[in-house]
Amino acid sequence: MLDEPVAVERPTLYRIFLTYLRLANLTFGGGDAIMAAIHTELVTARKWLSQEGYAISYALARITPGTNVLAFCAGSAWKIRAWPGAIAAVLAASVPAGVVVILLTAGYGALQSSAAARAAIAGTLAASVAMMGTAACNLLRPYLDRRRWVPAVVIAGTSFGLLQWSAMTPIGVLGLAAVTGIIWRIPE
Amino acid sequence: MSLLMLYLLLAKATVTSFSGTTSFPVIRHDFVEHYHQLTDRQLNAAIVAGQAAPGPNGLYIVSVGYFVAGVPGGCAGMLAVITPPFLIIPMLQFLGRWADKPRVQSALRAVTIAAAGLVLSTMLPLARDALNGPLPLAIAVASFAFLLVKQQSTVLVIAAAALAGLAGQLLS
Repeated sequence: MLDEPVAVERPTLYRIFLTYLRLANLTFGGGDAIMAAIHTELVTARKWLSQEGYAISYALARITPGTNVLAFCAGSAWKIRAWPGAIAAVLAASVPAGVVVILLTAGYGALQSSAAARAAIAGTLAASVAMMGTAACNLLRPYLDRRRWVPAVVIAGTSFGLLQWSAMTPIGVLGLAAVTGIIWRIPE
Repeated sequence: MSLLMLYLLLAKATVTSFSGTTSFPVIRHDFVEHYHQLTDRQLNAAIVAGQAAPGPNGLYIVSVGYFVAGVPGGCAGMLAVITPPFLIIPMLQFLGRWADKPRVQSALRAVTIAAAGLVLSTMLPLARDALNGPLPLAIAVASFAFLLVKQQSTVLVIAAAALAGLAGQLLS
């Protein structure tokens, strides 16, 4: 259900686009920082979105497939201006950065002929391995507390082993994990 | 590979993940192991491009699409990134209370934990390709240690790693 209007005037699609463009692309600190900035601007300052609308968008974005922050942009802007608002917000939050990604990837190909550039790229590829390792640690770390470390270690270890040494696909492993989570309750 | 097929494979990866990088094992399985459209090195470079750009995580999918089919492939990747988030709207309309059910929450926690194991497992072949000497290994260890402390400094780490790689080339 759309939010009850809390703002004095309903924002235009153009204003929604510009606001999400700025908040999603110029806020440093990742998804949580972007969602916090959206709270400050849309709930507290502009009053386009109610606290309840923000909270339910935040909660459901966590369980929506894909990138959480884009789901949050879609949900929160849908609360403000229905489907046109959601489309404007998601495009504003993703397309400019996507263009930058294409330019960076094209640059990677173009730089392969230079030995110095290849050395610099080799350095970034080594850092990328570290980023993947950090991403895995960050996914697991919140669950390594006293109440949840056993299911965390068992599920993560089994998933690692199944992908490494069995013919199971990643989607099969994730499906098995979901069923395990339904049967073996992992506390909040 | 047709653009439709490319989009469907990329969307399969994004629709079965619940954060930016958890689509990574599915992407590697499909594009590197199964269809041989991408090398581990290109996949690794795609992650660098995705992390170096502003905005949300997960945009490395755009880079994967570009590696496979140029600019049209990048557009297919963009579409695959922005499609699943719209699923939140029917969820807002119909499933608001369902999301709080303990068993649903537990299943999502289990999927997130499993994704950590999958990402680690998928990282190994990339590490074998990229960490082919003492300097890349040192860069990876230093980057990992730094990112554990300062989690949101990926652009800084990428820039420092590029400079370290360049310095290694100049000094050798």
